[in-house]
Amino acid sequence: MKVDLYNYIKAAQKMNRRQMLKGSAALGAAAMIPKTALAGGHGNVRAEILKIPGVGAGSPTDSDWQKVGEMCLGGTKGNVSEGEFEGVELTFMGLNNQNLHNFLFRGFLKPWEAYTGAKINWIDLAQADYNARLQQSIATGTADFDIIEMGAPFEGDVLGKGMASEMPEWVKEQIDMDDYVDYLKAPVGTWGGKTYRVSIDGDCHTFAYRKDYFGEGSITGRDVPTTWQEINEVSKDLIGKEDPLTGLPAHGYLDPLKGWGGFGFYFLENRASAYAKHPNSPAWLFEPNTMKPMVNNPAWVQAIQDVMDLIDAGAYPTDQINADPGTTAFQQFLAGTGSMLMWWGDVGSNARTSDTSVVGDVAGFGINPASERVYNAKAGAWEESRNEAPNMAYIGWGVYVMATVEGDDKKKKAAWSAAAHLGGKDLSLWASAYPSGFQPYRNSHFQYDEWEEAGYDRAYVEDYLGSNADSYNHPNAAIEPRIPGIFQYYSVAEDELAKGYAGQYGSAQETADAIAAAWEKITDQIGRDSQISVYKASLGM
Amino acid sequence: MNTDGDLLHTVTTDNISDSRKRLGKLMVWGTALFCVMLALQQTIYQSGRASIGFETWRPILYAYMLWATALCAAQVIVNGEKGKRTLFVLPAALFVISLVVFPLLFALYISFTDWNLASPKGPQPNGWDNLVQMWNDSFYWNALTNMVYYVLAVSVEYVIAFGLALLLNAQISARKFFRIVFLLPLMLSPVAVSWMIGKSMLEVRFGPISRIIRDLGGEPTFFGNPEIARFMIMAMDAWTFIPFMMIMLLAGLQALPSEVLEASKVDGASGWQSFKEIIFPLMLPVSVTAVVIRIIFKLKLADIIINVTSGGPGGATDSVTSFIFREYRDRSNVGYGTLLAMVYLVLIVIFVTLLLKLVSRWMERPA
Repeated sequence: MKVDLYNYIKAAQKMNRRQMLKGSAALGAAAMIPKTALAGGHGNVRAEILKIPGVGAGSPTDSDWQKVGEMCLGGTKGNVSEGEFEGVELTFMGLNNQNLHNFLFRGFLKPWEAYTGAKINWIDLAQADYNARLQQSIATGTADFDIIEMGAPFEGDVLGKGMASEMPEWVKEQIDMDDYVDYLKAPVGTWGGKTYRVSIDGDCHTFAYRKDYFGEGSITGRDVPTTWQEINEVSKDLIGKEDPLTGLPAHGYLDPLKGWGGFGFYFLENRASAYAKHPNSPAWLFEPNTMKPMVNNPAWVQAIQDVMDLIDAGAYPTDQINADPGTTAFQQFLAGTGSMLMWWGDVGSNARTSDTSVVGDVAGFGINPASERVYNAKAGAWEESRNEAPNMAYIGWGVYVMATVEGDDKKKKAAWSAAAHLGGKDLSLWASAYPSGFQPYRNSHFQYDEWEEAGYDRAYVEDYLGSNADSYNHPNAAIEPRIPGIFQYYSVAEDELAKGYAGQYGSAQETADAIAAAWEKITDQIGRDSQISVYKASLGM
Repeated sequence: MNTDGDLLHTVTTDNISDSRKRLGKLMVWGTALFCVMLALQQTIYQSGRASIGFETWRPILYAYMLWATALCAAQVIVNGEKGKRTLFVLPAALFVISLVVFPLLFALYISFTDWNLASPKGPQPNGWDNLVQMWNDSFYWNALTNMVYYVLAVSVEYVIAFGLALLLNAQISARKFFRIVFLLPLMLSPVAVSWMIGKSMLEVRFGPISRIIRDLGGEPTFFGNPEIARFMIMAMDAWTFIPFMMIMLLAGLQALPSEVLEASKVDGASGWQSFKEIIFPLMLPVSVTAVVIRIIFKLKLADIIINVTSGGPGGATDSVTSFIFREYRDRSNVGYGTLLAMVYLVLIVIFVTLLLKLVSRWMERPA
């Protein structure tokens, strides 16, 4: 679970003393149970690990991570005998964001190291250094790590170049891949029909709105918008009105108009996915047979036009042209400016826990809004039918084993065993419930009874996490292409969009054409034929 | 004792045999040949025309180090005592060549390739394509135009810095305190300035400056309008670096000969006259140094832009460095990004050379 989400739920729910005592008593009882009994008793493990350290008992520490790792060793013990990896050394490259990620992995894997006899060396990277380090390793063919924590968008770069090791069958069974939410199943994590990824996270953008702006007697007097057309109408209607919470000018939807190192493009995608992601095809950014950009088709142009119309109408806060996604979420929405936003889980979680948030009591959530019409790229025409397409922005983190282990069976098995331990079904439940940097990503993570039993407020968990679950399992989820250089495409698009929003292009179509031209250049530079083949592979075609 | 030659700098006279000299030369040429052969073989191997080669270029680096060591040793073997004197400089010179010249040559090669880190082909020479692309790249020309504005802003910074230096050179109370206070911005990282001022104090909604403007009945906008945004970037950069010019000018003012100033006072010169006729002309060398160094700093302007505006709105605040940063970091476009940097380097060298020539001519001093 993202740290903020954890804090938010703690703040949002009303935990009474009795619940706290129940949790403490259970934890005390758990401490008396022999470790082997816990590890072996699968059904029991899930309930018991959720009590470490216990909801409301402070943030987990290294000893908690080690306890959880120890109690979740059941899967490993089924496939690996004690001391089997004696003498094996592995290098693990991952992040150190918020002192999570690798910090947790160290704790989780310590009991695994003690049991198997393997030793793990760690490469910790800050998020800002991660992409450059990985790209350089890929480009120079110098992978100095055996296991990597990596986002799915890089699969094109790594899997497409044969740098990873294929997942053995026994790992698939150990981690129960059928339990993944729909969008994390193949083709995500696979390449050329082979599976490479142990998922440890899920990502998607969800819709956050201000409840006090909607409903009877509210400033808008209407229901919460469910389509982009309604959002645009509401945003224009709100011009000149006053925010009920802050007394400052009221605003509708908050589009970030400034780039964010490529990540800003996800936010135009939120609008465009409803228009452009037709259920008849997984492709919505490039045409799979030619890599011709679809970003200048009528659907994408409509999305850009929407933003330009709102700029012209003066619907955005002052200086919105200089607002990146971080600004729209944390300095605007949470601080009481604007009433609608699309973002990852952090916004919902920060709503009540952040000191600068004033919208904690009035924040509501939903999935990415729909469109009243959808563009059918195959037919080249708009269809007047409602279309929903939640944007699975970034797809989430996974653990991958590099091809460096090939040729050494013992090392390969050790690396995969470590990856499987981190992506285990039970361990991942704990990671989704406590601060870890990861969101729920398995269907079993949405068994709200388990959360309730652990001490969480059911209504809140159902409301907030439900929006994630609905997005993950949506049949028309918009999944980004896992092709080499995907963030290069996003980054150059941000530059062109900034020019378009600043009025330097004549129209939305011209802006979209400029993006398409820039994308064509990147495709040619990376290699069109190779891009076509990896794009098709990433789409499972 | 030999009484010929340079007696002043000669400690002992060496009688170096011919065989020893031959050995020294053999060491140098032998290791050089070995290094070159190895590099050639590796180049052929890398191009796929040979089956024998190394996995990496590291062995060639070792061969180069072997040659460098042999070259140093040969100085003593061949030249004796005189060679020892060369040894004081040679390792440093080789070090500089290794770390400056080689990377520069490598960068020159890279800048004529289509190297994109995401490309499975790796770097492929692409002739003049990058130059053509640069010629048609409106983002780059826009950034260069912005650099002209940014560099011109140095003249205003200079005036302010000179004024502050005069103030701090005068007999004012708490002079030491003010000197330290005025130096504080220079001690701050531009990244800190970006966040403290650009992203916090100038934040449109709750930034204190925005609140004051709103309280006064205005509607604050700092980075929404291209001209204002560019001015704000200039102002933040100036605030950080004016103290640098100021401290240089202050040092110059304190070094002025007091007798000249006193003589002008005795002759009845007014404050303005002594500034115009004595202080400013005498300060010209310091001023020129301060301005040139400041311009060189300015040409590297990037951090504040990257943090505050990312070059926006619509490229209005982009500097060449911030644009190259995006091209390089966000798009892994190594070949094109390197070419842009190389062209920028050439432009800077030409510009600074011309500037120094003009200044030296103006000051009637040899460059």
